[in-house]
Amino acid sequence: MSLKEELQAERVSHLDLSNYCQLPSSTLVRDVLATMRQKGSIVCLVIDNGRLAGIFTERDVLQKVVASSEALEQPVAAVMTANPVTVSPDQPAINALQSMDTHHFRNLPVVDKDGRISGTMTHHAIIEFLATRYPTEVLNRPPRPAQFPSKAEGG
Amino acid sequence: MTTANIPLQLTRKDFVSNQTVRWCPGCGDYSILAQIQKTLPDIGYAKEDIVFISGIGCSSRFPYYMDTYGIHSIHGRAPTLASGLAITNPNLSVWVVTGDGDGLSIGGNHFIHVMRRNVDLNVILFNNRIYGLTKGQYSPTSRTGRKTKSSPMGSIEQPINPISLALSSGATFVSRSLDAHTKHLGKTLAQAAAHKGTSFIEVYQNCVIFNPQEWGPLEDRRERDDHIIYLEHGKPLIFGKNRDKGIRLDGFKPEVVQLGDEYTEADLIIHDETSKQLAYTLSSIEYPDFPAFLGVLYQEEKPTYTDGLFAQIQTAQATKGMGDLNALYRSADLWTVEEQEVVASDVKGTVALGMDDAYMDDLDKPEAVTTAVQDQLTQDTLASLTPRVPIEVDASTSLVKAIRQLNAHNIGCLLVTDKNDILQGIFTERDVLMRVAGLVDDLAAAKVGDYMTADPITVSADLPIAQALHLMSIHGFRHLPLVDEDNRPEGVVSFRDVVHHLTESLA
Ligand code: SF4
Repeated sequence: MSLKEELQAERVSHLDLSNYCQLPSSTLVRDVLATMRQKGSIVCLVIDNGRLAGIFTERDVLQKVVASSEALEQPVAAVMTANPVTVSPDQPAINALQSMDTHHFRNLPVVDKDGRISGTMTHHAIIEFLATRYPTEVLNRPPRPAQFPSKAEGG
Repeated sequence: MTTANIPLQLTRKDFVSNQTVRWCPGCGDYSILAQIQKTLPDIGYAKEDIVFISGIGCSSRFPYYMDTYGIHSIHGRAPTLASGLAITNPNLSVWVVTGDGDGLSIGGNHFIHVMRRNVDLNVILFNNRIYGLTKGQYSPTSRTGRKTKSSPMGSIEQPINPISLALSSGATFVSRSLDAHTKHLGKTLAQAAAHKGTSFIEVYQNCVIFNPQEWGPLEDRRERDDHIIYLEHGKPLIFGKNRDKGIRLDGFKPEVVQLGDEYTEADLIIHDETSKQLAYTLSSIEYPDFPAFLGVLYQEEKPTYTDGLFAQIQTAQATKGMGDLNALYRSADLWTVEEQEVVASDVKGTVALGMDDAYMDDLDKPEAVTTAVQDQLTQDTLASLTPRVPIEVDASTSLVKAIRQLNAHNIGCLLVTDKNDILQGIFTERDVLMRVAGLVDDLAAAKVGDYMTADPITVSADLPIAQALHLMSIHGFRHLPLVDEDNRPEGVVSFRDVVHHLTESLA
């Protein structure tokens, strides 16, 4: 089975979508940055009245925030990408991946038809899928390739 | 002196030792090691206050690979050393690493007693249901009927259930996790660390050499959720990828039921981690007869052994005064042991060579069937990704310029090189978020050299793709610099390239 077929069979909701934080659109950019740093998130899903209003990514930090000191004191709504493309959790994972590629997105919010947010799809989710789907080949490799023992040692 | 209250900013790297890891490639021990190294920075202890103690076995090599204090101790006796240490110095975070052989065969008795005493320490038992280090004999957790090197007609013994044993011995924290389930394992380790008293974690571990089939679908990420019940306090025991199955009680007997017309959520057991009775009942179910439960089965707050002992010492000292150890030593008869004559040994000969290989060849291992993805992962090299040409800057470049470069090329990372083109560091969009945005006022004055990650982990073009994925999954890297043997950049491998390669080339 190829990876494509595997990701066809796997639903988005079954991937690790947890690499995000979620804040109201009135939050100041300064505070959004602090939360992202503290939680190690790569993206902030921006919420308005319980609904996804936009996303604010590391790319936005790079393009709109870092060089402008005024941006820090603005609400995140001013610098987010509004009405982002989303994917539904019951879609096959491959669809999400393809959508990311077509749009050159690094992440894609996962939202169901009732507007419930279940996380964010990233390339990292696929890496994590591969690592735990093929632990023998990926996860459980000796950390340093030069030290790959030439034979099974039994300990 | 305790350092526990100094604010710490440890990372996973602080716990990686410089020793060669010697487990078989593919062994589940690797992922357990990685998760422990990932979890420890957050448990609130200074590095020098953490100790790993092991016995004998594959898993017991653990202390060498942790950059903490450690003792590779006597077979089965790690709990005794750990108990002594944890009692003498209650400020330490003490971890016992053992396996089904070390902990339940020769160390079975020590296991029971460490569980009942409630000294504040953590016991991780790697259960692979086989003897690995001695090459494939059945262990106390091997299933009845299991054919191994020492049970060619199938084991006629009843296996020990480590969770039941821990519970009935009086453990105050009993849990289970799975080697390749990185998230779950990390969470369970953190919960165990937070518990005051003896914490027991059984980790289902894959011995890829001698017992690779043992955990079957549990080790397959796509199927595992149909075979795992995640225990959560106060929640019903629902499981399955579609969350359509559950566990109910038929009298005293746990039973798997399909949710639907006949049974609903209301019929299922609600997990209560404070109920010992429920814990006993659930502990009786084990994979493969039942789905495997993972998570915290039972926990209870109880005074620790150390609390009790110190209270007694205080009382004794208050009534009788401080003791005098020297006087105690000299209170009985004393004698001198004379030096003895050395007797020459007449044992001669050499160890037979090549026995190992013959033994390995002799093993009837199930024939490995690999998928196209597995072949790609291990056989395609990083060169086949045609890695992108890196954008390079030198360390004195200002942050303004560096950020402009990232934006202009729409890329996620820059490589920082010196005048001989030798790689010095990597500067990524992650660094901009973590260290620069809102933290650095004058971007024109700040130099990229002060904000980059110096001496990053690199890869070379001849390594298999799996190596890059390994580094990315363990460290969370998104970019890996590809360098030649002189550490000159040749390219950058991004996780996007890898995912692309794997999904495109087989189209
Ligand atoms: S013999 Fe088994 S348990 Fe031991 S290192 Fe090898 S794979 Fe791991």
